[in-house]
Amino acid sequence: MGIIEEKTLFVTCGATVPFPKLVSCVLSDEFCQELIQYGFVRLIIQFGRNYSSEFEHLVQERGGQRESQKIPIDQFGCGDTARQYVLMNGKLKVIGFDFSTKMQSIIRDYSDLVISHAGTGSILDSLRLNKPLIVCVNDSLMDNHQQQIADKFVELGYVWSCAPTETGLIAGLRASQTEKLKPFPVSHNPSFERLLVETIYS
Amino acid sequence: MKTAYLASLVLIVSTAYVIRLIAILPFFHTQAGTEKDTKDGVNLLKIRKSSKKPLKIFVFLGSGGHTGEMIRLLENYQDLLLGKSIVYLGYSDEASRQRFAHFIKKFGHCKVEYYEFMKAREVKATLLQSVKTIIGTLVQSFVHVVRIRFAMCGSPHLFLLNGPGTCCIISLWLKIMELLLPLLGSSHIVYVESLARINTPSLTGKILYWVVDEFIVQWQELRDNYLPRSKWFGILV
Repeated sequence: MGIIEEKTLFVTCGATVPFPKLVSCVLSDEFCQELIQYGFVRLIIQFGRNYSSEFEHLVQERGGQRESQKIPIDQFGCGDTARQYVLMNGKLKVIGFDFSTKMQSIIRDYSDLVISHAGTGSILDSLRLNKPLIVCVNDSLMDNHQQQIADKFVELGYVWSCAPTETGLIAGLRASQTEKLKPFPVSHNPSFERLLVETIYS
Repeated sequence: MKTAYLASLVLIVSTAYVIRLIAILPFFHTQAGTEKDTKDGVNLLKIRKSSKKPLKIFVFLGSGGHTGEMIRLLENYQDLLLGKSIVYLGYSDEASRQRFAHFIKKFGHCKVEYYEFMKAREVKATLLQSVKTIIGTLVQSFVHVVRIRFAMCGSPHLFLLNGPGTCCIISLWLKIMELLLPLLGSSHIVYVESLARINTPSLTGKILYWVVDEFIVQWQELRDNYLPRSKWFGILV
């Protein structure tokens, strides 16, 4: 792959609603400790709109030091509001931004593992790129489709899922480093294409 | 005497329309489609090659997750749908339009015409506001749909929809046109229910199940438990 030199976890909260519980859990000492133990050195967090100041505050609260090193914002598609910090005595690099227009290239080129909210778009992004994925369901949303879709994908063996708690995430991380997922079927379906052709040219 | 003639005329016309209605609505269609599944790919190519005219396809981007799934669908079936096609692109939010414009750049052969549709229902609108926007949407979408449908005349065509509410209005106008103008032929409406719908259909899905020509679901249990006439091919997006 070449581009991935640093073992990286990518956390995505979705574009619309922030997911503070997830962000706070992945920044917890216990979780970061576990990450480092499994050899991760970089944590990229896409935290959603209108959450930048809370994010900055949270990282600093956890002892994060702001780093002035340049972030590849073009490759990340994240704009120049992105920030970089070091956590855990310099052992873990943390990059945070609100939104990216290049989610797929971040996942494909920079991520070894993805933790995502349960939106179908984010789930599909990872699965289509064959990246191991832990789905974290936002239990403060009223939308129970997210729970259903997460349960269904777990049942089919395509993803791991967890609750937005420190223990939940650690369990998910451990599973991802020791178990294997079932391959996600390819998207192109000849029978559906046939139906389209027959409809179009009838 | 005159009234008798008139009455019989009314009877004949109304019978004709009832027959027409039966012909265009999906629940009276025969299930011939599933038997043809053994057809091989060569025939498929033949069908496509036999028509020299470009495909004219209408796509509606329903914002957010709907837009995401629709763009994935188009990408997955790009050879068929985005070859040298003319795309009539319906949208109701600027973000979707931009997302599509960015996506379609890769497909240089496609011609795209953009049509903005007002939202059928705003979240948190009052009743009066809702009535107003619905009437506005009805009129505006009628103008768009008539123009697009006539532009498709004589060419291979497809209306590809996946929600939300505006798709009901679009389908309604298309079916009314089919009813009133029998020579126009079928509109070829294909509706693909959202991947997020595993156990229950969406409201749009529940309505369009009775209207569209092909209703596709992405989960077997949704077909088996709720929508027996729908077709299931697995996850398509």
